[in-house]
Amino acid sequence: MEDDVGAQHTPAEVDATFRTLRRVAVGYFVVFLLAVAAFPVLSLTLDWWSQARLAGGMSPGFLVAAFGLYLFFAVLGIAAARLSSAVEHRMLDGTRDDGPAIGPDPTGEHP
Amino acid sequence: MRGGSRPLAGVLVVAWGAVYLVTQVLVTPALGVLPTLAAGLVVSTVVVLGYPSALRGPRSGSLGGATARNRSRPPARRPRDPRGVRDGLTIAAAGRSMPLRNGLTPDAARRTAQLIRPLLGGDAIAITDTEQVLAFVGPGADHHHVGGTLQTRVSRLAIGKKRTVVVHGRDGIGCPEPDCPLRTAVVAPLAVADRVVGTLKVYRVHDEPAPRVLVDDMASMLSLHLELAEMDRERHLASDAKLDALRAQINPHFLFNILNTIASKSRTDPEESRQLLLRLSDFFRYAVRQDGHFAEFSQEYFFVRTYVSLEQARFGDRLRVRYDLDPQVLTARVPVLVIQPIVENAVKHGIADSVTGGTVHLRARVDPLTRTTSIRVSDDGVGMAPEMLDRLLAGERPGTAGPQHSGVGLWNISQRLDALFGDRYSFDVASTPGKGTTVDLQIPLR
Repeated sequence: MEDDVGAQHTPAEVDATFRTLRRVAVGYFVVFLLAVAAFPVLSLTLDWWSQARLAGGMSPGFLVAAFGLYLFFAVLGIAAARLSSAVEHRMLDGTRDDGPAIGPDPTGEHP
Repeated sequence: MRGGSRPLAGVLVVAWGAVYLVTQVLVTPALGVLPTLAAGLVVSTVVVLGYPSALRGPRSGSLGGATARNRSRPPARRPRDPRGVRDGLTIAAAGRSMPLRNGLTPDAARRTAQLIRPLLGGDAIAITDTEQVLAFVGPGADHHHVGGTLQTRVSRLAIGKKRTVVVHGRDGIGCPEPDCPLRTAVVAPLAVADRVVGTLKVYRVHDEPAPRVLVDDMASMLSLHLELAEMDRERHLASDAKLDALRAQINPHFLFNILNTIASKSRTDPEESRQLLLRLSDFFRYAVRQDGHFAEFSQEYFFVRTYVSLEQARFGDRLRVRYDLDPQVLTARVPVLVIQPIVENAVKHGIADSVTGGTVHLRARVDPLTRTTSIRVSDDGVGMAPEMLDRLLAGERPGTAGPQHSGVGLWNISQRLDALFGDRYSFDVASTPGKGTTVDLQIPLR
């Protein structure tokens, strides 16, 4: 029978991981919200945002809406996914097979 | 600049450059000065707050990589002479970069001999311990072999008399090689405290020996470095011994109780007893195999939850635990075997004596601005009387009725933190009888 002790966690461990991941998610969501909310705020308060001309005669607002936001969403999503995976790995995976310091006995003995 | 400050400064410069380009150079018309400054400030704030925050991605890919980082860092480079004097040109400069600071080894002796040879006016320099030649630089190196036994009488004389010996003429040197070009020698003993551990020998191939005072002074300086090296070694040994003591002091009663629990569950719930055995093996494997003084927090967290899950098998619903961890703290490096003894203390002195049990709360945070890792272990158990707390912190075993053990743990932790961080940490224990105990630990972020 395979030793799958890593898949069995106590409720406290799962709860701790959930709360840490929730903190990550809330943090990223706040950043997402601020960035998206900044767009209409800038459009309403700063004429330069829609009247100035950048590359190709496009305004800063148009450029951000056309390209910048998508780039921002991609970066934010990748960063959130990487951090969440790392957090889950560190908080739930055992270190049983992860390294020589606490990994399996080099002689081959394994519980 | 330390740690991540340099990349942060670089990112800020790039951010301001980008703001300037986008608002002033690439756009028509340019944005006004105040909105530009406001945009720069917003970007800077986002960078400064976001860079060290929980939003940053993982610093490494896997725990395996983290283990590899356990290797010791190379020693910090010594600062360059502010006067621009090249190392090796003056005795002061040589003293600051003396390789013997790491101990009397052949490599250190060779580099030292090469370094001080131009300073002492000798043609050949040898450094020995009390048995063999560790380094020989200059004429005569063909038969004064490194690693060979002491050939010259004068070395044994200097070691025996514990004072500097000056020899005129090659007969006085006592080299058995007839073609040895060395004519005069000044041999000064190298001593650690009152114990002679070697010699510094300055040879010349003509009849005027090297200045004795100069050789004496250099030997004194080398002896001082050797003494400092010895103190360093003893300090490290003491630190290692404290860690070994903590590792070895895993309470036999804990093991006894857990084995009893497993034995009782083996009939009613064989699967759970199997899981407990695996957790027990994880627990001991971690405790035994930690060879460095620091580990990633996530590994210590693994050790803690392994311990707690074992205790929960014994205490059942009486022992509850709540972890509250900052994502960034998972990759911080903390002293090994520090958090678990604190949690064990909370279980043993807070929860075990409470009829209704209680909750142990482990909270860990990183403050990137002050570069501090904060760890708090609190419980709502029975608490401790001030005198018992004092005894625990002093390393005494609380009470004489039973062979309790964890007092050694808290005292040991305090001593090890002293050795690792000096006065750059805080370790506070507060306890109120009937309300619980709180242990606050703040250490530099690594």
